[in-house]
Amino acid sequence: MAANGKPSTRGAVKWGVAVDLKRCTGCQACTMACKLENGTPPGVFWTRVLEKEEGTFPLAYKVFMPLRCNHCSNPPCVPVCPTGASYVREKDNLVLIDQDQCIGCHACVVACPYQARFVPSNDKGYYDEQTPYEGASYKKWQAGTAQKCTLCVHRIDNGLNPACVETCPTEALVFGDLNDLQSKISMLIQQRSHFQPRAELGTDPCVFYLT
Amino acid sequence: MSNAFNTQLRAQQEWSWLLAIWLFLGGTGSGLFLLFLILGLPPYFAALSLGFVLSGGIILLLELGSPLRAWRTVFRPGTSWLSRGVFFVFFFIISCSLAIGPAFELFSWLPLSANGLVVKLLGWVAGLCALMIILYPAFFFHSTSLAIPFWNTPLLPLLFVSYAVLGGDGIVLLLSSSTKSILPRAELLAIVLIVINAIMISIYLLVMDRSGGSAKESVRRLNRAPLSWIFWIGVVGVGMLLPLLAILFIPSAVDTAGVCILIGGLLFRYCVLKAGVYVPFALVVGGPDWSKLNRTSTDFEREYAGMAAQSASRHR
Repeated sequence: MAANGKPSTRGAVKWGVAVDLKRCTGCQACTMACKLENGTPPGVFWTRVLEKEEGTFPLAYKVFMPLRCNHCSNPPCVPVCPTGASYVREKDNLVLIDQDQCIGCHACVVACPYQARFVPSNDKGYYDEQTPYEGASYKKWQAGTAQKCTLCVHRIDNGLNPACVETCPTEALVFGDLNDLQSKISMLIQQRSHFQPRAELGTDPCVFYLT
Repeated sequence: MSNAFNTQLRAQQEWSWLLAIWLFLGGTGSGLFLLFLILGLPPYFAALSLGFVLSGGIILLLELGSPLRAWRTVFRPGTSWLSRGVFFVFFFIISCSLAIGPAFELFSWLPLSANGLVVKLLGWVAGLCALMIILYPAFFFHSTSLAIPFWNTPLLPLLFVSYAVLGGDGIVLLLSSSTKSILPRAELLAIVLIVINAIMISIYLLVMDRSGGSAKESVRRLNRAPLSWIFWIGVVGVGMLLPLLAILFIPSAVDTAGVCILIGGLLFRYCVLKAGVYVPFALVVGGPDWSKLNRTSTDFEREYAGMAAQSASRHR
């Protein structure tokens, strides 16, 4: 059973995330939740929030943009992989990496137009020696292989929302099935003005920014 | 942080000298083998080209994060040019070894004669593989061109072929003491290729500059900073002008011209790699809608409930 209570049958589900840019306050809670959940190496953030100052006094404001892997329907990172380590999970369209097959050639890192992939050179952790927490969490990836946001696939498979979505205090992140027209994410996309990042590249990202 | 927003133009940091050396060794070795076939060079040139291609493969292994798994690259020839390249290198090594083996009295247990039809056929198979070893990195870069528009051009494969043959010619010039008979042809070929390269690079940079965005930034990086010294002094000065002057005016310095051509070839590949600038990965369309800034959470609840009702009625 998936997060929205809909049974996950093969190919029927297409997970996506809607980011409400009007609700995002740039608190970076999603950044930290991802870091805690996935134990990413130093300097690597599978999800992060960019911020920028706009306007002039008195209408000066900040705009925020949470970023993560877009889990594209037509991902440019997958066909360039020489080993098949990068793949699209057919049952729910998640773009994942088989850590045991990846050779760390960086082809997918360069091919991703969203700069959402990383290849850590080591797994020493933040203090040159792994803490017990790092020892446990670093089992999810390997040094010298590509890694990226999995949309918390381990949580999705257990019927939970991704950690970033669960943590967002303003509900700026909405996770759900894009194939289910009754899901909250589908309704938001139907009703609100939105854009997909660099949709003109033809990658069909599954992350939608509501404006 | 304000300068690092989603419109920032950032150059790729993944590939640097190691990959440039791989491109240089693979390209130059393959170009030398093509010259061996076309100009009828002595067999040790073919052995040298085999050494170059093999060294390139070893350098590529060093670039990998997990080199012990490199054998897995044979699994995706259907979509990945890296995977196809492994096959080209594999077939080149086998066919080239068999083609030049009889000349070095190797593989005597095989029914191969130095001037036999089979050996000639193997030589041309190796030549085809050599051509593909030159071309496949360009096709590979093209497959990543959604992210890096600077590599999205049909001129790149042509430049790679031209630079590969020029590199092979540079080795012939460098070893000119043993190849006196073909020296005039090698010198003429070098002059022609340097001129062709200069024209193609000019067109390449002009087209990329006109296409704007990330590609324009790539050209700016080559033309101004941070790659301007390497490009103008290394690729243009050392790689083109010096060898041209040496060949045309100082006949005794052809070996120096060969060295300059090789240095220019390596730096050209480095420049192509390091000038790769990513497209800005996302853009916020317009600023915030001030009229809706004062919405409360109750307003949002109401808004979402309204959307749900509308959607339900539409699909009823």
